[in-house]
Amino acid sequence: MIEKGKISALQMGLLMYHAILATGILFIPATVFNVAKQDIWISPILASPLGFLSVYIAYKLNKYYPKDTIMQYSKHILGTFWGKMLGLLLLLLLITSLSVMFWQYGEYVVSEFLPHTPKSVIIGMMVILCAFAVHGGLEVLGRLAGMVFPVFFLLFLVIIILVLPDVEVKRMLPVMENGLMPSLKGAWVLCTWFAQFGIIYFFLPFLTDREKGLKFGMLSVLVVTLTLVVTNIIVIWLFGNVTENFNAPFMSASRYISLAEFLSHLESIVMAIWIAGTFIKLCVFYYVVVIGTAEWLNLSDYRSLVLPMGFLIGVFAMQVFLNSAEAAEHFRIVSHEIMDTLVYGLLIPIFLLIVAYIRKTIFKHKVRRTN
Amino acid sequence: MFFRKKIKFNKNINKKQQDDKQIPKPLFSNLEKNLDILRELYKECSDVVFRSFLIAGHTKAQLIYIKGLSNVEEMDNNVLTPLMKKSEKRTVNPKTLIEQTLSVAEVVKISSFEACIEQLSVGNPILLLEGDEQGFALGLAKWERRAIEEPTGELVVRGPREGFTEALEVNTSLLRRKIRSPQLKLKTLKLGRYTQTAIALAYIEDLADETLIEEINQRLKRIDIDGILESGYIEELIQDNPYTPFPQVLISERPDTAVSSLLEGRVVIIVDGTPFVMIAPTTFFSLFQSGEDYYHHFLISTATRWLRYLFCFISLLLPSLYVAVITYHQEMVPTTLLLTMVDSREVVPFPALVEALLMEITFEGLREAGLRLPKQVGAAVSIVGALVIGQAAVDAGLVSDHMVMVVAITGIASFTIPRYNLAIPIRLLRFPIMLLAGTFGLVGVMIGLLAIMTHLSTLRSFGVPYLSPVAPMKGRDMKDALMRAPLWKLNTRPHLTGEYNKHRQGSNQKPHSDKGGE
Amino acid sequence: MRRAIMIGVIFMAFVLLTGCWDRRETNDLAIITGVALDKNKEGQIELTAEIHSPGGSGNGSGGGEDNNQGGVQSTVLQIGKGSSIPEAIENLNEKLPREILWSHAEAIVISKAFAENGISDELDFFVRHPEPRLRSYVFISDGKAKEIMALRPSLERSVSEALIKLAESEVLMKATLFDLMEMLKGEQGAIVLPMIDKLSPEEGQLPSESIAYIHRSAVLKQGKMIGVINDQISRGVLWFRNEINESIVTVEPDEADEIISMNLIKGRTDLVPEIDGQSLKMTVKIVTIDDVIQNQTSWDLKRLDKLKALENELVQKIEKCLTDTLDTVQKEMKIDIIGFGEEFRRHHPKKWKKIKGDWDEKFPTVQVDFDIDARVLRAGKGSET
Repeated sequence: MIEKGKISALQMGLLMYHAILATGILFIPATVFNVAKQDIWISPILASPLGFLSVYIAYKLNKYYPKDTIMQYSKHILGTFWGKMLGLLLLLLLITSLSVMFWQYGEYVVSEFLPHTPKSVIIGMMVILCAFAVHGGLEVLGRLAGMVFPVFFLLFLVIIILVLPDVEVKRMLPVMENGLMPSLKGAWVLCTWFAQFGIIYFFLPFLTDREKGLKFGMLSVLVVTLTLVVTNIIVIWLFGNVTENFNAPFMSASRYISLAEFLSHLESIVMAIWIAGTFIKLCVFYYVVVIGTAEWLNLSDYRSLVLPMGFLIGVFAMQVFLNSAEAAEHFRIVSHEIMDTLVYGLLIPIFLLIVAYIRKTIFKHKVRRTN
Repeated sequence: MFFRKKIKFNKNINKKQQDDKQIPKPLFSNLEKNLDILRELYKECSDVVFRSFLIAGHTKAQLIYIKGLSNVEEMDNNVLTPLMKKSEKRTVNPKTLIEQTLSVAEVVKISSFEACIEQLSVGNPILLLEGDEQGFALGLAKWERRAIEEPTGELVVRGPREGFTEALEVNTSLLRRKIRSPQLKLKTLKLGRYTQTAIALAYIEDLADETLIEEINQRLKRIDIDGILESGYIEELIQDNPYTPFPQVLISERPDTAVSSLLEGRVVIIVDGTPFVMIAPTTFFSLFQSGEDYYHHFLISTATRWLRYLFCFISLLLPSLYVAVITYHQEMVPTTLLLTMVDSREVVPFPALVEALLMEITFEGLREAGLRLPKQVGAAVSIVGALVIGQAAVDAGLVSDHMVMVVAITGIASFTIPRYNLAIPIRLLRFPIMLLAGTFGLVGVMIGLLAIMTHLSTLRSFGVPYLSPVAPMKGRDMKDALMRAPLWKLNTRPHLTGEYNKHRQGSNQKPHSDKGGE
Repeated sequence: MRRAIMIGVIFMAFVLLTGCWDRRETNDLAIITGVALDKNKEGQIELTAEIHSPGGSGNGSGGGEDNNQGGVQSTVLQIGKGSSIPEAIENLNEKLPREILWSHAEAIVISKAFAENGISDELDFFVRHPEPRLRSYVFISDGKAKEIMALRPSLERSVSEALIKLAESEVLMKATLFDLMEMLKGEQGAIVLPMIDKLSPEEGQLPSESIAYIHRSAVLKQGKMIGVINDQISRGVLWFRNEINESIVTVEPDEADEIISMNLIKGRTDLVPEIDGQSLKMTVKIVTIDDVIQNQTSWDLKRLDKLKALENELVQKIEKCLTDTLDTVQKEMKIDIIGFGEEFRRHHPKKWKKIKGDWDEKFPTVQVDFDIDARVLRAGKGSET
């Protein structure tokens, strides 16, 4: 196997948690608010089944081919040529996704905190840092996630406790003013986030406690859903209708905190911790891209790919959009019309699962691998 | 490439030199011949004494010892006096005479020159006889050694006041005094081409993982160096990652710390000639533990530990945070505080980053000066220090009041880390993070912190992940890392590598009024 | 090893060669503590910024100078003019040698003249700019706002600080930038802001040595100031909005000749809207707990019947306050600053959609019922002699 390190199912769950939520916690409330208004807290609940489904399908596929990642079993299921083709599609989607994530990170830091710093430096530093971690291997990523999560979660709780004096439950009312439709539309927006859980198929083969893989995968979806619900409720309790004025309401909430005159304007600290979470997210996708490419090319070690791939992605991320309008256009087309995350997170695995099922049960083909 | 070749070349030269000086192996029966060879070996060694005498007035014999390493008084009373007594019976075999009259506990028969040199070097006098291929090494070594004293580097309020000394035998005896079980094993080997330093590998059978002992043994055997003066030499040559500033072995001069590590299944490496023993494997969090933690109430110890973690962070980050906040995130400071900060910084000519660097470097210099200076001048340093980092610097308009506070708190914080070798990398890493803070504000601080965390995650100490039990998470071991659980709860050993003996005590140790004899 | 050095070099290059783009030394900052907005005769916006003067307050701590009033000036005023706020700021920037730091501008004073022309567009700047705090307090000044900023309070370091303390003490109305945004976004766009009056200087005092205080409230609709309500009505509005705070209530029972003063400890209001066909009804439920602090009457408050009577008096007092408020707000001004519309929307979202369009006409017709429960918890020491 290409990856020698192993992680525990819990670490996998934590990695997935950050991979989904690190950026989500900032942008989801505002994006969803545009359609769902004061019902934004319902949307994550409605969208979560998609996350559970993604994890379950990845798990099912992993049951068929316990030691392989999607790059390998797509070859077994579809044959070498079509398997490679599918792998290429997957890689291209993931690489664009990753580049856009790096861009998003750079854009947010530059626009909110360091307006005069060149974006290329901010992105470049993060690429180097992620390359360093990815080079360390999956075990290092697992450990980092284990360390970042408590801090991330603690901060989340602290922010919530600190804004509590200012919340007004009334702002949530009326629930479902315009029926279920707005929140459903919000859920549709959220699908792009929940479908990302599909990339768990890259981690399932490397678990020490394989039998717990499904459990912790599901738990991860559940915790993400709960975190989003709580975030959205807090945001709506705090800001109500004003939410739409903010780009990142949770950050604005931390800006709004004022306790005993001393604890105020915490957004810089929140941003620092958010960077830690985003770092894990970027590492997860970076790792997935690197190991996917290595497997696609049948390399014996993926570490030699880390730096070249980092360079490629860094340049992509720096050049991908010229202005925010282009970015908006990209998100409109790729995320909401093509739904790239849905394609690689859900549709491809479903397709593979159906083909594998047909081959295994209906045609009784013994496609079990010797390896 | 060039380097490597050169090293190889050197190696060859060394081998040749050794080969040239080959010593004949076994002793001859001719005393004169033996003496000639020994005299040649110890040519121009004024401290080696050759004393010839007649055993019982007839057999020629020679006593050889090194001045200052052997107990001359005992040699007089217990060796020379009985042996030189003229015997009536001329036919007495000198060998039996030695066995009968020599009142020395340790007499080792030696038959080679190598053994001669070895025994001489540790201070045992040797006795060679005419017409005998065997000599005797007498266990009369005695040299001046420091008495067992309180370790000055690791002071405790409560706990044993004895510390390791420079002598290996004393150190092993200190361990043996604490662990009476024969399962305490001590493997010794000699390292250093010239120093021939004795190294002892102490572990408890069944507790320490055998592969771990084997691994350490292998790493030690690989060492080929001319001399070992301190355990630091060995530390640098056996650690997993040679580039990291973080210590991968724990250094202690306290026998109780060493013993508690042994009981956790770790291995203690004792080097002759230094009071500092090495404990491996070591994790990041065990470097925050002090032996005293286990002698005080667990609540107090837990609180103390958290205080150390907090101050470790302060020591690493406070100057950076100050620089980041004052130059990038002014909005975080409450208005009133910001206004006073601004007022005090108004006259300072430097940017905050330069100011911080200046003060931190000054402080580090001051600390270094204080360490090396003779005690008589020490007072002068503290007076000057108070001037440099104090009101005088503020009045001179070089730094602001707040910066002085920051540096002072950072200084105090770095002293709270119980292990000096962990405090050093943290002090060192403070500077790159300060640069990052000066360039990117809190973003830079976080990036620096993440880089350090990533680096720590990649580290291993003798196969044990450096950040365990926190990352990877081992819930059971966390009770002695994030807190100090009460002793009756600490009933499992920390898991290091491989198989291990899990239970360290009876499971029902919690004191309770229902228990006991009443 | 080579790789480690490479990575190190790249890292150092990133850090050291790049310089510090966003660095702002405090020596180069002009910290703005308060802002006043005026409109001059030509229709230009005049933005008066109260800027902390470094070193100014630092002297004070040293010696005995600080006890003479206003001896050391710790803030300076600077005015920027322009047709819009960004332009005025640009103008201000030109006049200032230092970069402006907005994040500590916690008091925004808007002149009456400015407010009458509408504030919502102008305030957009303060909301969008990342630096100003959402918690900044907003005030309306009766006269020119910059005259308020020119005052020298004797207790605090600067006017802004005094104004912030005034708002935080919650004697009367207070409104933050965020409240303002929310109210503008609300169903009615009706806002109540605290109004600052200047006390006329006492004899022998310089005009700048008088103090500012909050006594009235300004009412704004769709961002434009349309009227002023006095403190009694303001208090009534606070009652309706469940924002009433600790205050002194004085009642004068008919049977007794003197007064009883009470300290309001807790007041809670619940609005219960009902829609019955075309008629709208609102029940105002109030629970309040008070302590007696002064009793000048001959009533023995240790007796239960007297206490009950007192509670009754209190209920009547509050009810009168509320009906007075309603008369002014609902009947005269016809503006929903008491949040009735929001309540109808929250509780009857479907029906609300129908009446939403002509709420302006409906609002004065809302029938209001009161359900007040006043409790006097501690009667204090009796005054019987």
